[in-house]
Amino acid sequence: MSNHEYTIGEDQSPHLCEYCGRPFSQQEWLDLHRGLEHPNELSEEHISAFQTAYEAEEGELGRFRLRALGVLILLYFCLLMVYALV
Amino acid sequence: MMRENQQRITQLIVSVLLLILAAGTVSAHGASLSSGSREPIRVPTWLFLSTGGAAVGASFLLASFVTDRQFIRQLHQWGFPIHAENSHVAVTAGRVLGLVGYVTVLVIGFIGPSTPQTNAAILLVWVGWWAGLAMTSYLVGNTWQTLNPLSTIALVLPSLNRRYPDSYGAWPSVIGLLALIWIEVISPLAADPQLLATAVVAYSVVTLFGVVIFGRDTWFDKADPVERVFRYYGRVAPIGKTGRKIKFRLFGMDLSVPRLVDDFDEVAFIIALLWGTTFDGFVTTPGWRTLTEPLVAGGFPPQVLYPVALLAGFGLFFGIYLIAVELSRRTAETYLQSRMVAVQFAPPLLAIAAGYHFAHYLGYFLELAPALWLALLSPFSDPGTVPVYQPPSWFGGVGIAAVVIGHLVAIWVAHAAAYDLFPSRIQAIRSQYPFIAVMVFYTMTSLWVITRPEVALPYI
Repeated sequence: MSNHEYTIGEDQSPHLCEYCGRPFSQQEWLDLHRGLEHPNELSEEHISAFQTAYEAEEGELGRFRLRALGVLILLYFCLLMVYALV
Repeated sequence: MMRENQQRITQLIVSVLLLILAAGTVSAHGASLSSGSREPIRVPTWLFLSTGGAAVGASFLLASFVTDRQFIRQLHQWGFPIHAENSHVAVTAGRVLGLVGYVTVLVIGFIGPSTPQTNAAILLVWVGWWAGLAMTSYLVGNTWQTLNPLSTIALVLPSLNRRYPDSYGAWPSVIGLLALIWIEVISPLAADPQLLATAVVAYSVVTLFGVVIFGRDTWFDKADPVERVFRYYGRVAPIGKTGRKIKFRLFGMDLSVPRLVDDFDEVAFIIALLWGTTFDGFVTTPGWRTLTEPLVAGGFPPQVLYPVALLAGFGLFFGIYLIAVELSRRTAETYLQSRMVAVQFAPPLLAIAAGYHFAHYLGYFLELAPALWLALLSPFSDPGTVPVYQPPSWFGGVGIAAVVIGHLVAIWVAHAAAYDLFPSRIQAIRSQYPFIAVMVFYTMTSLWVITRPEVALPYI
């Protein structure tokens, strides 16, 4: 991961990873990144931050799944109707 | 742990079922598209195109239901090594076979029968190589690296080993690929054996010249377009090299491995490959004729028309991809450079290109394979009748299914690549929105082309 390159605007203040220097626009993403890429080097504090961020994401994913399912059903029935009419 | 496993399995089953449903819907409608290619379809074109686009969009939503990182990684790493015994014997045999094919094309091309359907050179190049061998390269594994006769000849050539300029990168192969597509479209290479043999000689001269100047490995690694096409198609295949070992894995799973492409030049090559299959069909649509008639009537030189359209279309496809990259950086709120995002999501498009190639060439290959066999058995005689295999009427559905499967693989691989790049799963999903829009655009363009009636190329 350390071979990535980044563009950071002057007015931006990213959260930087202490281990590889990768910048993130949200603190939660940095917490997740630490747990995924540097699992063996984490402090207790970082581990619990990772767990919190991971669980918070579950909720967000759940809402996304619900919306996606809605779109799928809508898409399916729209096409069904159109095929019935044409 | 139990609960997680159960959840994972349920997720997988639901996704697979829904994917099959999506694919089934499309192929059912697509089946009416053809018995034989390019017959007018029964549903209106706009509906056919929307269904294709919707299927791509729906597959993305379905893929996004799979959010288990570990499962995605396991699926992509699944596979087992294959022990190739006596590989140097196989390599020598492959090289000899390639050379025999090469000599056959040149000899029969220049002095063989002049009817294209009975000329072994024409059939070997178009049916055996560009249709047949290319299909094996993404269905089984890339063998061109060994078979390539020019690469074998290059073994005995001296080389000046000049330094290949880094700034050239893969651009010579991009230009080479576009040039080959242009020549293939405008000249009767599939009808005139002598012209074909001449073209092969010209291509060999250019290639061997490059080898002498820059060295065999550098030339075939960087600049040769054909070698690159087969190498990229080989990444879709289940059998391929991982490091020095030959490994069996699932279709397309090697596309998410980083470092297949490193920079914009290689991204451009993938886009050129995708655009090439579309352009090939596009110029035979009535739409192309309507579009160009006023231009030519207005004094636009018709010879310039084809290369300009080829380049403009490539620019359009590439430009749209680059816009998607910028939009993706925005939706994913990432600081990663455009280059990093562009190289991560270009390889999945190869699965789409392979799907289109299969759809285009499978019928062609099966129809003419008996003719190829007969021509190879007696290359100098000219039989009056040519055996032709007539595929059954449901056969058009296979092509549509190939296109759909190519897209499904591409969407899945892009999904995995996004998980690889971004720490947040919701961020990974958001990063895909612009690319899915691009895939929908590519799909609808290609589907539009295959639903148009085929007309002769104008002004040639």
